[in-house]
Amino acid sequence: MNKMFPTQEVGSLAKPRWRIKGYRGKPLSKEEIAEAVDWGRKLGIKNLGELVKLLSKGDSADRKTAMLEWSAKYAIRIFETAGLDIVFDGEQYRSEMYEHVIRKTAGFKFLGYVKSFDYRYFNKAACIDKPRYVKSFYLDEFLFTKENTKKEIKVPFTGAYTLVDWTFNEYYEKKFSGEIRGFKGRKFEAKREFLFDLIKEVMRPEINKLIDAGAKWIQIDEPAATTNPTDEETKLFVESFNETVKGFSCVFSLHNCYSNYEVLAKHACELRNCSQLSLEFANRDSRQAGTGNVRTGYNAIKLLEEHSFHGNYGLGVVDVHTNFVERPELVRDRILHVAKVIGDPSRIYVSTDCGLRTRTWEISFRKLKNMVLGAELARKALE
Amino acid sequence: MIGCYVTGVLPRSSKLIAKTRSYERGKISKNELEESFEKATENAIKAQISAELSYVTDGMLKWQDLFRPFTENLKGITVGSLTRWFNNNTFYRKPIITDYVKREKDVVNKIMHFEKLPKNLPWKAILPAPYTFVSLSGNQYCKDEAEFMFKFAEIINEEIKSLAATGFSYMQLSDPALVYEPLTPKSKKDRLALVNDVLETAVKGTSVKTCLQTFFGDFSRILPEALDFPVDHLGIDLYATDFEKLKEYSFEKGVALGLVDSRSSLVEEQDELVVAAKEIIKSIYRSGMEEVFICPNCDLDFLPWERAEEKMKVISSVTKRLREEFS
Repeated sequence: MNKMFPTQEVGSLAKPRWRIKGYRGKPLSKEEIAEAVDWGRKLGIKNLGELVKLLSKGDSADRKTAMLEWSAKYAIRIFETAGLDIVFDGEQYRSEMYEHVIRKTAGFKFLGYVKSFDYRYFNKAACIDKPRYVKSFYLDEFLFTKENTKKEIKVPFTGAYTLVDWTFNEYYEKKFSGEIRGFKGRKFEAKREFLFDLIKEVMRPEINKLIDAGAKWIQIDEPAATTNPTDEETKLFVESFNETVKGFSCVFSLHNCYSNYEVLAKHACELRNCSQLSLEFANRDSRQAGTGNVRTGYNAIKLLEEHSFHGNYGLGVVDVHTNFVERPELVRDRILHVAKVIGDPSRIYVSTDCGLRTRTWEISFRKLKNMVLGAELARKALE
Repeated sequence: MIGCYVTGVLPRSSKLIAKTRSYERGKISKNELEESFEKATENAIKAQISAELSYVTDGMLKWQDLFRPFTENLKGITVGSLTRWFNNNTFYRKPIITDYVKREKDVVNKIMHFEKLPKNLPWKAILPAPYTFVSLSGNQYCKDEAEFMFKFAEIINEEIKSLAATGFSYMQLSDPALVYEPLTPKSKKDRLALVNDVLETAVKGTSVKTCLQTFFGDFSRILPEALDFPVDHLGIDLYATDFEKLKEYSFEKGVALGLVDSRSSLVEEQDELVVAAKEIIKSIYRSGMEEVFICPNCDLDFLPWERAEEKMKVISSVTKRLREEFS
């Protein structure tokens, strides 16, 4: 991109109540319908009467698809209206980054809920057969986004390492039980084979489809990449990323968050065809204005630079876990601080820490708007 | 003697999960939630009895994480942010030390449903080991980490005594941080000498059986020093430990072999577990066998309840077969 400090969101936006209930075929209250109309007006969405009609009528198969399209349209407009340079549909087509892919791929079975923390749980699947590509899981939403925006598009794509890490590995552990004696070595080899089968059978065919349909930039989301911060596991992760993107003519970037980036920094320069590392930083930074020592959250940048990472940064300057709306000046200072550390402002893409799905649209919109204003201030400062 | 038991928190059943979710959404009262926990606790105990485990726990269903009863009930500690629990997709709330830490009342006894435990079977309690608790806490008060470790060991010592008075005869101290690779201390020898002294403080003057349960890492990492730790048994995660390295050492204390993988939903083949256990037992006990326990490598709550129940049955069957082999 020619512009300095292009702005982007990482992926997800919250789903409004009218989308959730509407998709499930549940009746909506007047307030919920009014919420859809208010936002529609704010975003300049056309044919709102059609949406109201749809929301007022009962459940139907058409309604499901239509709801996905309407909320995707809203999400695209939110990003555009806030002034982002790179957009997507806020992952409105997806139930969630893990389940969405697993449910549409053969070889998996959901075993039920296991603990995440406190009274929160997640539905965990087991791999019970060699994974098999059945149908595309991202193509519909990509095509819809493509039709509905003129901006540059980035497709968020859940990475194989994370899918494997979050899944019980029954099929491959069983397969190796006769072959490898030590349980530890067996677990690792079983994980390895699961990972590379998933890449070959499912990830690459999907990437192929997206590229054929015109995708130019795919962001591989790998929150689990730094879950196992050992050299052995990080090397496996890097190998899996390289294998996923190998030979495709498309821009790829990598998103990771909420971890200690130390081991990743050591191996980041081994990532091939990875134009950008999109990382969460704002969450660990102070809220004071200024550059230099106050920017405590951005220490890992130095580490990445020391380990010769030469790619771009998707620089998290907006914390997605709080309703605190960063002032444009704070955004500016975060950008300028890192621009100085790396000595090359053209390597910075201004970004949120992660997807905004846990914030309301109201807060998300204000945060994104200030992020865009902050990037503008940073551009001016360097003029 | 060969026995078996569980080594941590048992999973909540889907019914209980639904209740906790309803509670969070304000749909049921605290009393109704409490009743559900009691019922599920009875089931968790029943499952252990029917699997014929040698020691029984109350299932620890209410424990939000290994530290939480301490984080919430000790003076001088506040509940911090959600933090990843080792290399798992689960999270704990970081204990933040903000002031001089004091134990003013029983911690574990307060959360434990000991009144539901069977009178005719021995009881086991599970506590965080001082090293892991301190390593995973955020310290804003105590300048000297070692000093805080000893302080926490004193608290654990009081807890053990109080639990022993209630009727618990077996105490497991869970110490994953000691073997977890990314947390491996740089000056290993000094660290392990410190851990030894800290454990000494934790078990001083107690007469119950004690076990230092390690998991999520290779036990051989703390050998040979661990062989002299002042505990009766040493717990080993066999899904993270290199068998061959383990077999290089001669043990003179009991072991708890984490032979069943709590982080895998695959139910293990019993024949294979028996072979592996036999081989380990024979190689580490060169001058006479000590007490051996067959157990899951870590908390079974990484699994849905039904799988955990199946795995409890597996450890029990494997134990029976090993008893025959070594009789």
